[in-house]
Amino acid sequence: MTVFTDLATPAVMGILLGGLYAVIALGLSLIFGVVKEMNIAHGDLVILGAYIGYVALTVFGIDPILSLIVGVPFLFMIGFAIQKLLLNRAFKISMDATLIIAFGLSIILQNLYQLIWSPMSRGLTTSYSLNSFTAGCVSFPIVYLLDFIVAIVVMLLLREFLRRTYLGIAIRAAAQDWRAAHLKGINTGRVFAFTFGIATALAAVSGVFLGLTFPFTPVSGISFLIIALGVVVLGGLGSIAGTFIGGITFGLAQTLGGHFFGVAAQMLVAYTMVLVVLAVIPQGLFNR
Amino acid sequence: MKLAIPKLQSGFIPILAVIVVLALFPVIGVPRVWLLYLFLFYMYLAMANMWNLLAGYSGLICLCPAAFVGLSAYTMTIITWLGLPFYVGIIPGGIVAALFAVLISVPVFRMKGIYFAIGTLVVPEILRVVFLLWRPVGGLMDGGGRGYTIFGAAEVSQWQNYWSGLAVAIVSVFLMRYILRSKLGRGLAAIRDNDLTAASSGINVFNLKLFSFVIAAFVIGIAGAIFYVYQGFIEPVSAFGMQWLITTILATVIGGEGTEEGPIVGTAIVVFMYFLLARYAEISLIIQGIILIIIMLLAPEGIMGFARKTRIYQSLLKLSVKG
Repeated sequence: MTVFTDLATPAVMGILLGGLYAVIALGLSLIFGVVKEMNIAHGDLVILGAYIGYVALTVFGIDPILSLIVGVPFLFMIGFAIQKLLLNRAFKISMDATLIIAFGLSIILQNLYQLIWSPMSRGLTTSYSLNSFTAGCVSFPIVYLLDFIVAIVVMLLLREFLRRTYLGIAIRAAAQDWRAAHLKGINTGRVFAFTFGIATALAAVSGVFLGLTFPFTPVSGISFLIIALGVVVLGGLGSIAGTFIGGITFGLAQTLGGHFFGVAAQMLVAYTMVLVVLAVIPQGLFNR
Repeated sequence: MKLAIPKLQSGFIPILAVIVVLALFPVIGVPRVWLLYLFLFYMYLAMANMWNLLAGYSGLICLCPAAFVGLSAYTMTIITWLGLPFYVGIIPGGIVAALFAVLISVPVFRMKGIYFAIGTLVVPEILRVVFLLWRPVGGLMDGGGRGYTIFGAAEVSQWQNYWSGLAVAIVSVFLMRYILRSKLGRGLAAIRDNDLTAASSGINVFNLKLFSFVIAAFVIGIAGAIFYVYQGFIEPVSAFGMQWLITTILATVIGGEGTEEGPIVGTAIVVFMYFLLARYAEISLIIQGIILIIIMLLAPEGIMGFARKTRIYQSLLKLSVKG
């Protein structure tokens, strides 16, 4: 019995944390699935979302979740501009060019954060972020529950958006075959820019909840990028449910890894799993 | 290609002269700052050459030079802690990096294109966590995040560091020349252009890519170990850090990916930029990122690739062949 009660808390926390990872990975998956480019700067854009929440909290005293009213449109515009001005051109050169440009963006963003917010570790500490939720033998911080609820809301919204709106259908068409979509009269350059914008808007949402859950530094984008890559590859492209399951798997890997091997090694477990997933099932579990 | 081979033979004496002059630099009393930046130039040139071999000629976007640098330097450090002099540890460092390349090729080579890049991006991050936790030698006061002092490195003079750096850079340049003109290089070029056609004409795609990956890991590892002899101290965050990757990509892309002279030109520009912006580390990196993006958008073939297309270069090439 004690084994189960010991494991219950990390297991529940892992599943809830999976929601956060799924939201981070959704943005990456959307770009990878539609525009077919690997956005190495995605982790850094997520951290930008966290810093916007941080500024809202410390400078204006606004709740970081409320700051999303500004953060989401702001990051949407940044993402739209990145794709429209940089990546739409690089896309025509080669796949490697988009990868290297995203890498350049990642360097620029990381060092801008260091310049503006110093390399210190920050966190979004609100009145509720220290509260914990207890049910039976399970006890966890309440923000983990928030992560999970937000993940479900975001996934349902994204699913309905892709199914019902004209833009959503255009995005799906461009994902399947962008040349054919182009011939059908879809402005693919614009659709790609919208896709990238939506993905960075998702990064804004995940950034704020990441900041509530973990402390972050200007360079912590890379560790969340790697986990998100693992989630995207495991879940398969173009499957929202797959991304969700992938997120939960990596959340569990991290918390259970921390439980068995100590907190210092928890990222090691998650990283090693990314390599194993890439080597064993690069096509993912839920690929269309 | 027909033009390039006679150029190599006629250009051998000037190249030798340049090498001799560079080797004499410490003796004739060149300022120490110059020697330092030239040393950095040699280190980054060796790494950029090998990155060019992978990205420009083998179609492998390898995001893990830091893994080879760090592993090799750590191997050398551990050897000094076991009581042996540091120069015994440099070659084993390279060998460990090469063996590690063989090891990670098992999962990483199953992936193609962009997946390969992702797979290699994860590797230095894993190693960094491992070396933050693992203390192979020494007590609790050393290792982990505190890092290790490299014994005997303090006694090495700047001259010796300079010459070993020069040696590695020369070896890397001639190795590139040799590889590109050998069967391996021609096979790699065929794979880069179309791997299916290459495979169907009898080229073992997996083996050739593995060879170039292992050779690159070895040379990058040696360069990394020599860099840490100069540094005298090693800790995981910088040894497995992004800076190695940023510099090698920047040098190769600015100079021209897939051109032989590219890394030399690119590394010279990058090191000169480090010299100009030495006091402003963060701004320097932001500028590097901006330059990387601009070059990639405006001249994706880099400076040498761009120069090759211009008429002046073509006529210079013809002149040098005739003369």
